[in-house]
Amino acid sequence: MAREQVYMVESGNELAALAASQINYHVMGYFPITPSTQIAEYLDELKADGKNTVNMIPADGEHGAAGICYGASTAGGRVLNATSANGLLYAIEQLPVQSHTRFPMVLNVVTRSVSGPLDIKCDHSDIMMVLNTGWLIIFAKNPQEVYDFNIIAPKIAEHKDVRLPIIVAYDGFFTSHQKKKVSVFKNDKDVKDFVGPFKADYTSIDVNNPLSIGCYMNEPDYINNHYQLAKVMEKAKDVIKEVFDEFEKFSGRKYNLVNSYMAEDADVIIYALGSSVDTIITAIDDLRKEGKKVGVVWPSVIRPLPKDQIYETVKKAKVIVALDRQDSYNDIGGNLSTELKAVLQEKGATNKVITRVYGLGGRELYIDEAKELFDLGFKAINESVKNYDYYGVVTGNKETKLPIGLKPLTLEMQDNGIEVEMVNGKLEVKNINLRKLTKQAKRFVPGHGACIGCGIFSGLNTFMRGLKGYVVVLFHTGCGMVVSTGYPYTSHRITYVHNLFQNGAATLSGIVEMYKEKQRRGEIPKDLDITFVMVTGDGGADIGMGPIVGTANRNHNLIILEYDNEGYMNTGNQLSYSTPLGHATSTSHVGEAQKGKRFHHKDTPQIMAGTHIPYIFTGSEAFPIDLIKKAAKAQWYANNMGTVYGKILSACPLNWRSEPKLGTKIVKAATDCNFFPLYEIEQGITTLTYDPEKAKSKINFEDWLTMMGKTKHLIDPENKEILEAAKKEIERRFRRLKIMSEHPEL
Amino acid sequence: MLPITNQYGLFEVRFESIGGLGANIAGKMLAEAGLKYLNLNVASFSSYGSEKTGTPIKTFVRFSDPEVPIKINSPVENPHLLVIFHENLINALPVTLGCNENTIIIVNTKKSPSEIQDMLKIPTATIGTVDAIGISLEEKVKFNGILLGAISKAIGFIKPEHIKGIFEDIIGKKYPAVLEANFRAIERGYNEVKIEKVKEKKEYSFKPFAKPSNLIGYENQIIGGLVVNPGNSFSKDLSASRNGLIPVFNSQKCTSCGMCDIVCPDLCMVFIEENGQMIMKGIDYQYCKGCLKCVQICPVKALTEGVEAEYDVKSMTVKLFTEKDTAQNHR
Ligand SMILES: Cc1ncc(C[n+]2csc(CCOP(=O)(O)OP(=O)(O)O)c2C)c(N)n1
Ligand code: SF4
Ligand code: SF4
Ligand code: SF4
Ligand SMILES: [Mg+2]
Repeated sequence: MAREQVYMVESGNELAALAASQINYHVMGYFPITPSTQIAEYLDELKADGKNTVNMIPADGEHGAAGICYGASTAGGRVLNATSANGLLYAIEQLPVQSHTRFPMVLNVVTRSVSGPLDIKCDHSDIMMVLNTGWLIIFAKNPQEVYDFNIIAPKIAEHKDVRLPIIVAYDGFFTSHQKKKVSVFKNDKDVKDFVGPFKADYTSIDVNNPLSIGCYMNEPDYINNHYQLAKVMEKAKDVIKEVFDEFEKFSGRKYNLVNSYMAEDADVIIYALGSSVDTIITAIDDLRKEGKKVGVVWPSVIRPLPKDQIYETVKKAKVIVALDRQDSYNDIGGNLSTELKAVLQEKGATNKVITRVYGLGGRELYIDEAKELFDLGFKAINESVKNYDYYGVVTGNKETKLPIGLKPLTLEMQDNGIEVEMVNGKLEVKNINLRKLTKQAKRFVPGHGACIGCGIFSGLNTFMRGLKGYVVVLFHTGCGMVVSTGYPYTSHRITYVHNLFQNGAATLSGIVEMYKEKQRRGEIPKDLDITFVMVTGDGGADIGMGPIVGTANRNHNLIILEYDNEGYMNTGNQLSYSTPLGHATSTSHVGEAQKGKRFHHKDTPQIMAGTHIPYIFTGSEAFPIDLIKKAAKAQWYANNMGTVYGKILSACPLNWRSEPKLGTKIVKAATDCNFFPLYEIEQGITTLTYDPEKAKSKINFEDWLTMMGKTKHLIDPENKEILEAAKKEIERRFRRLKIMSEHPEL
Repeated sequence: MLPITNQYGLFEVRFESIGGLGANIAGKMLAEAGLKYLNLNVASFSSYGSEKTGTPIKTFVRFSDPEVPIKINSPVENPHLLVIFHENLINALPVTLGCNENTIIIVNTKKSPSEIQDMLKIPTATIGTVDAIGISLEEKVKFNGILLGAISKAIGFIKPEHIKGIFEDIIGKKYPAVLEANFRAIERGYNEVKIEKVKEKKEYSFKPFAKPSNLIGYENQIIGGLVVNPGNSFSKDLSASRNGLIPVFNSQKCTSCGMCDIVCPDLCMVFIEENGQMIMKGIDYQYCKGCLKCVQICPVKALTEGVEAEYDVKSMTVKLFTEKDTAQNHR
């Protein structure tokens, strides 16, 4: 008999998290990416409220997250991950390792387009990239299915005849963010009972049974390992059916490997995947009233491929319109339709298949469009229509140009009148005057979409004041990038490049080296001076730390500038390694069972100090002369000696939950309470450039915390321990700097 | 139970809003009220790329009777209820697309329904106006409670008690003061909204719903998605991002120290060279989001806080860019 259930209005992501919380996974390793991030956020919120005890590990990137999950699964517990798009691709290398060494776990893939041009909306280019990794893939088309499949998934994956990792996929935004009426199990215990206990056959922590996981295996053995997996895929079809049947008894909801609506007698069938199916069903109801025989078929399982069931449900149709939300650029179609065509060919069927690539990058499917696609199918019965094409593209008007821009900045417009000179091995900077500097044209242009009072552009602009001449910027993914380049607009008046935020430093290294090589070869003027600046958020300095350190080790002539707003703000305020201890974020909630972030903030300048690059600094808009001076030095060092790294603290009123107008005051307070010391490391010598005590501006640590909603709880006596630990650590770090600052050789 | 539905049995709602005003959560609350108290089928979602404050978002809510499933996942084309969360959106976006004479339109404004009709340029409709900005400043709450109160009055089937119940579920007993303030906001929205079936005006016409279209397509998109016109975001108008307050500049007091230029996140300050000296001339309000960081930093109070409605912002604006600064790249 079905277990007791209650109705709720929830989104796919909330429901994936609820299911995970009810199952109470041992470990979740994750890295935030829209639109899947909310799963970790809700799970963390439920954890803070004491609803689960999932050990949540914020990774340094999806590659790291997949590694954490792989490690955890070898240790024999239940493991969860969630990702999308570029995150999935960044993790992809880990996926076949996990499947072919046969450790089950559950990965939610909330589907999204894969950049470049960066698009965060739904299509299926990410999920189709992992068809060949040996993971099981089940696809939920609405929030109810997301919940149900998340309960079903571990049971399939852990089944003794399967032992494979599994992906639960669903459409970004349409399914992940749409809140619908759903039915969920009232008692966590029922869910736990359904999933049952998991006992791994082999674990990496069973000291009595030592084993070697991941051996070096070439021919002739490797192919046999793969053949095993291919056979298990076959077997998994039966297991999935079995578990679906069991779930029907448990819930009252029935699922099939392949589903159909009105397909039985249909002349034209649409074959599709995901959230569009419901829209298509609505179109069918309308068309059937007009007497048109139309239907839709959609798979719930795409790995293994239920080819018999697909064939059985579509075989009677005269025309099948296969809708791909992704393309394989093979002039045949995306993976969904290419595989459909292969299935029909294998079965000797002769149905006509028309492929349309649609809905890329979040383009919606409307009811009238679904009807148009059916009409296309009817047309194809007697006439010839293109087998493969796109649906929903815009031709554009050739006469239309991009929105008009501004004239490029000349050398003169970018002058700042600042003088920099090397005196006795130290740089001296003269002639900084804020009033005079207003004459320098700005390299950033208004019209960007940052939040009210966002500190990114005031901070970056202040830094830019210290640079004279031509500048090329490279931005990592993050708020600064997203809000300044919404196509067809740009807020950059100078050349700007975006690249994946795990790879920007490497990319800029490549640009700099090409520029230098072209100069060496005389292909561009030798006296053309360009200063190269890479801009990253603190999050980009987490996932991109490897290439940043690599760039510093190679000592390229460029500046790496981190604006630190203490979190992954673009994706909705998840903790970064730079988020300070105890601060509340969407993945470090404050509740009965948890009080904000669990570990101290990362000291990126000191990590960079270990690379021994010529110049390192910290700064903020609250001390503009100090920052501009450092920028001028940074330019000199980047152009003459090598890599520079700088960190500027940048207010995020939205997620700090602070008043927009207080941004400058709050970043000043962070320095005055010794949390964010202003200093520089010039050719290895550390100097505090501002000492709050000497400036008679020293404030209490608490005075800074009370200015932001995200830290108010730390003042509460019940959180005294965390407060004291944070204080102790910042004072320790400050004292250490001060001692170095006073020592002539440190 | 639903006063009116379309051919799919749905009562459809569209909110036109700006990130940070609470439209997304208001949509969820409205849907939850329908499920919890009336056992309706419900769905709600928002169309936003990022959740930055100040950027336009649309939220959609659908209701149907319990036995009618909601299958459509695309945006609401012909809303039965349209809620405009900020009056400034009316001139910035085509908010009324797909409306007809049966649409109920609620607007956050001090203006009257017939003044709003002229701004919206629609022949007729039932228009409700409520000064949510004023109420929110007084009660220190977000707009959502106030607007949900007004919505409840306009559509009837969701009662103010239902909305209060959902607020109680969400805010809980943890913050009784916040809950009380929101209860007052709901009541004030309900009581203070002015709803009127406005007189028909023949000079206006309804505009049908149009899918987002674009003049830049595959024929004329520059390859690789490049933008070759530097700084072209200068043509955008961000004034709809402001929440009612503006910085007011007094040149008499200004020493042109340059501090406001450092802290302004939206790069709005206009400095011009006169006789070899840089002089602060004023603000380009086209870009000002009203954060008031400049007011905080100004050492001589040459910048002060003002209520936007009391000023003629247009005439106070000093332009940052003129035609001579612009260029079209013809590559
Ligand atoms: C490989 C990959 N993983 C995750 C993301 C999602 N993502 C985009 S921006 C961002 C956070 C950026 O944080 P930070 O660098 O601190 O910049 P902020 O948004 O705070 O300005 C994340 C997680 C991505 N784009 N690519
Ligand atoms: S979320 Fe924060 S960092 Fe991002 S644009 Fe808004 S204020 Fe700026
Ligand atoms: S901060 Fe005040 S005094 Fe200084 S330039 Fe701006 S308005 Fe003038
Ligand atoms: S209020 Fe002042 S600082 Fe804020 S955007 Fe407007 S001009 Fe700039
Ligand atoms: Mg950040």
